[in-house]
Amino acid sequence: MKIAVCVKQVPDSETRINLSSPAPELDRSGFTRVLNPYDAFAVEEAVRIKERLGDGCEVTAITIGGDQVLETLKKDCLAVGCDKAIRVNEPALAAAEPMQIAKVLAAVLKRDGYDLILTGKQAIDDDSAQVGPMLAEYLDCAQACVVTALELGDGTFTATREIEGGAEVVAGSLPAVITCQKGLNEPRLPSLPNIMKAGMKPQETLTCADLGLEVPAALSTVAAYVPPAPRDACTLVQNDDPAAAAKELVRLLREEAKVI
Amino acid sequence: MPNIAVFIEQRDGAVKKVAWQMISKARALCDAAGGEVWAVLLGEADAAPAGAHGAHKVFQAKGDAFAAYNSEGWSRALAAFCTANSPDLLLLGATAMGKDLAPRLAARLDAACVSDSVDLSWDGGFVIRRPMFAGKCYADVKVASATAVVGVRPNAFALNAGDGAAAAVEAFDPGLDGFTPKASVVETKQAGGKTVELTEAEIVVSGGRGLKEADNYQLIRDLAQTMGAAAGASRAIVDAGWVPHSHQVGQTGKTVSPNLYVAIGISGAIQHLAGMSSSKCIVAINKDPNAPIFKAADYGIVADLFDVVGPFREALAALD
Repeated sequence: MKIAVCVKQVPDSETRINLSSPAPELDRSGFTRVLNPYDAFAVEEAVRIKERLGDGCEVTAITIGGDQVLETLKKDCLAVGCDKAIRVNEPALAAAEPMQIAKVLAAVLKRDGYDLILTGKQAIDDDSAQVGPMLAEYLDCAQACVVTALELGDGTFTATREIEGGAEVVAGSLPAVITCQKGLNEPRLPSLPNIMKAGMKPQETLTCADLGLEVPAALSTVAAYVPPAPRDACTLVQNDDPAAAAKELVRLLREEAKVI
Repeated sequence: MPNIAVFIEQRDGAVKKVAWQMISKARALCDAAGGEVWAVLLGEADAAPAGAHGAHKVFQAKGDAFAAYNSEGWSRALAAFCTANSPDLLLLGATAMGKDLAPRLAARLDAACVSDSVDLSWDGGFVIRRPMFAGKCYADVKVASATAVVGVRPNAFALNAGDGAAAAVEAFDPGLDGFTPKASVVETKQAGGKTVELTEAEIVVSGGRGLKEADNYQLIRDLAQTMGAAAGASRAIVDAGWVPHSHQVGQTGKTVSPNLYVAIGISGAIQHLAGMSSSKCIVAINKDPNAPIFKAADYGIVADLFDVVGPFREALAALD
C-alpha cells in the first residue's frame, strides 16, 4: 500500500499577528513555524497503518514550500516514520490560495499513484479546510473529512467523521482522501537518533515544470488584511457579595447588552 | 446585476438555520446591487421559508441520491446547477456538510473558493471577509472566477423579518443519471439528549482549568441547560481528559460566534481567544483580575467561580 501524507508548515498557535490597521500584506516574518497540528494526526495515522501492514507499505510526506520547510519534513515526518519526502519548491506559490496548492499536490499524487491520501482537516494559518476535498475531486476519488476513526479493509475504508452533534460513518473504496481531526490518534514525538537518521532518507525536490505543470493561477486575491474590531473595555461588576454580583451581571446582560 | 445562489442544507428534511441567515443577507445585497436570490435545495424539505426570507426563486432537485448526504453526488448536483444558471456567488453554510462540499464543488467548477466568511459586501464586485489564524485577523477577499463558492459561518448574519412573498419552486436536473459514488454514508450517530451544538448555539457557556477537577464540569453543564446554551471547554481541560474534544473552543477546536459567550474559570490563552473572540457579547468569571480573558470580555466578575456560578444560575432561572 502506498500512502501519501500532505503536510504544511504553519506559524504556531501562539503566534500574534501584528496588524493595527488594514494592510495589503501581512508581516509574516518572525513567526515560529511548525508542522500544522492537524497534519501531525495524518502523519501519525500513516505511520501506524504502515506499522500494522509491514514492509509492503510505504509512506511519503509531500509538501510545498521553500527551504524553511525542510526542517519540518525531517523532524516531524521522516523522523517519526515516513519513508520519504517530496517537496515542490516554487516561489510563485509562496502566498498561494488552497486551490493552487491542491492542483500542484494533485499533480504529484497522480504522477506516483497512491492508495490512501491523508492530510489535516485544515491548516491553522488560513483555516480554509479546502485542500483535502479538492484533492479528492482532482483525483476523482472518495473523501472523508474531519475524521476521528479510520479502518482499512481490502481496498476499502470506513471513516468516522464529526458532524454537528454527532458523527457520520463513511464507507467506500480506495483510493481515498482522508482529512484528520484531533482524536484520531496521539502523535508521537521524534527521538534524537531518529532525527539524525532522518537525514539519510530519500528526499525529492520538484518544480511545477518537473510535473509538466504551469504554476496554477489564483482565482481569488486578498485586497486587505484587517485587524479584529477593538472591543470596549470590560465592565467589571464590583460587589463583595458574589450573589449580588451575579444578580447585577444578569441585569446588565438583560437590560444593557440585551443578550438574554 | 449579480445573482446569488444559496444552498439550503437539509438532513432528513430539517433545514439548517444558517440557510435562512444566508438568504436574508443575500437579499439585502441583491436589493442594493440588483440581481436575484436563488435558493438551491437537494432533496425534500419545506422550502417556504426561503421565499419568506427573500429568495426570488427556489431550485430543487429530487431523487434517491439526496436521501442521505454524499460529497461526490451532491457536489456534482450543485455543479450542474451552477453550470446551468451561472450564479455569481453560491453560498453554503460553513457546517460539517458545507465544508465537505464547497471545496469539492469549487474544484469541479474551477471556481474561486472562500471558506467560513463572516461578512459580504458589494462595491461593484463582492468583497468577502473571512477570519484567518482563527480570528486573529481577517482577510477581505475578491474573486476572479465567473462563479465563486463561498462558505458562510453560522450566526454571522441576522435573519430578516421573514415576511416576504412565496417563491416559485422550479425543478432542476442534477445530472446524476448512472452515477455511482465511490463512498457513502452508512451510519449517522447523533449524541443523545437535548444538547445544543456549539457552532450553532446562540449562547455558549465554557469552563476551564479554574473548575479544578473533572466532576466540577457539571456546573457548566447545569448552567448551559438553564440558559439553553451549548457547553464548551478550554483546551487545558480537554487535554486533561475532563471533557471530549468535541467541546473544545479555540484554534485547535471549534470556532464559535454566539450572541453570548460565558467563560468560566478560563484564563484566556490566545488559542482560546481565537476561537471565541467574534462572539457578540463576552462574559468572564475568573478570580485572577489579570487573566487575559478580561481584555476580551464585555462584562466580568473577578471572584471565585464556585461562589458566583450558583447564584448566577439562580438569577437566570428567576428571569421571566
